[in-house]
Amino acid sequence: MRAGVRGVLPFAVLVLAWAALARSGWLPPVFLPPPAEVARTAGEMLADGSLWAHVGASLGRVALGLAVSVPLAVTAGVFVGLNRRLAPVLEPIAGFFNSLSGIAWLPLAITWFGLGWLSVTFILFNTIFFLVFFNTLVGVRTVPRILEQAVRTLGGRRRHLILQVLIPGALPSIVTGIRLGVGFGWRALIAAEMIATTTGLGYLIYDAANFHRTDTILVGIIAIGTLWLATDRLLLIPVERWTVERWGLVSRTGV
Amino acid sequence: MGWRAALATWAALLGGVLAAWSLAAATLPMPAYVLPPPTAVLEALVDLARKGILPTYVGESLRRIVQAALVAVAVGVPAGVLLGMSRRAAEFSYPLLSFFQSVSGIAWLPLMLIWFGFGERTILIAVNYTVLFPVVFNALLGVRSVPQIYVNALRTLGASRWRIAWAVLLPGALPSIATGVRLGLAYGWRALIAAEMLVGANGLGFMIFSAQPFHLTARIMLGMGIIGVLWTLLDYFFLRPLEDATIARWGLVQR
Repeated sequence: MRAGVRGVLPFAVLVLAWAALARSGWLPPVFLPPPAEVARTAGEMLADGSLWAHVGASLGRVALGLAVSVPLAVTAGVFVGLNRRLAPVLEPIAGFFNSLSGIAWLPLAITWFGLGWLSVTFILFNTIFFLVFFNTLVGVRTVPRILEQAVRTLGGRRRHLILQVLIPGALPSIVTGIRLGVGFGWRALIAAEMIATTTGLGYLIYDAANFHRTDTILVGIIAIGTLWLATDRLLLIPVERWTVERWGLVSRTGV
Repeated sequence: MGWRAALATWAALLGGVLAAWSLAAATLPMPAYVLPPPTAVLEALVDLARKGILPTYVGESLRRIVQAALVAVAVGVPAGVLLGMSRRAAEFSYPLLSFFQSVSGIAWLPLMLIWFGFGERTILIAVNYTVLFPVVFNALLGVRSVPQIYVNALRTLGASRWRIAWAVLLPGALPSIATGVRLGLAYGWRALIAAEMLVGANGLGFMIFSAQPFHLTARIMLGMGIIGVLWTLLDYFFLRPLEDATIARWGLVQR
């Protein structure tokens, strides 16, 4: 309860300061609309469903990107990680594509797929795939060989080795990769939506700038920040912590 | 596997990819702009380098990111350490910082376009914003994670507040600060590319984005390659040494 108050108080102070600044008349309302007006715009956009449509479009794209890239990336990462000759060769290449992740793919995506959801999905795929692939690869390679040898000695097959040793052992690293992928992917998505689509939060705020609708832009910015914070705090960080505790190769005292 | 074998495998792989790419570009029934051959990318490199466009654009992009990095270190680290020194200030600013860190600079871009116009100022502010917040946030976290007993020890020995900040809090926070600098620059580099696409009149983001409507795909691929190589170099020669140095030297790792 006290933690909740502590978390809300700074935002309350920020909104008050914003209201005072907007009221002072120092900035024209076109530049900085008062919080009440932004709240009213948010209310209208929630009532007529337009905000939900944009939020749904953006979240749907991230979900599609995740659903396509994560299974492929984990499979590829495990199989390359198993190959001791190939793994050290492909690791720096995956690292290179990580550094390219996101928005740098946009011009090529538009050339290949035109404006639209396919280009955006392609960008998200590239961002998430290489980060998850890289982290799976690193995770598989850090599983101690002795665990692998133990399973082999006990008559385990390759299938057992993969499903019961390598994937669980690499899971903390895989989850870290997914968390990074969603983080970079979300930012790339907002930028890509500004250019390549006609729905989504990125489009909403960029289009609003053309009409000097700073109130709509602020609604969009607040939605973007809140959605990311909620996803990160309520989903990604708990899952990451849980996998690290459950499967991580963290030596605990007494174990 | 020794580095010689790794290098040989890597060269073979690169040769294979280039050969397959050339073959695909020569045989697939597609217009040349969809998949230009590797030689076209090389030609674009020579052409743009000779015209002086490439050195200028690379220089402009690098200038912007270096400037943002310097500001983040010069302003962000002291700000984070100062906020971290007081428990109250840290508790107050933590939710705000995590919110503003979650809204990438690109999401602010539409608002900044209205506030600061289409131009250099908007690009610089968006990039500085993106780099700054992770640095402040992680500096604060780093200071808060320094065990109180070290602070108490120095205080018992009669050290002043500034001495404690300089001799205990800052070194103790350095590994976390290094993490913040890496995250900030990673996000900032991508925000820079996106901002140059949307606003720019020069820079690597502008180079690949402005090539798209003219179907200068070789130029896009060249730009992407340079973006990836520059980040890899920055990572290898600056960020990793920084992390290794701070974590090995000051990290509170139990040895």
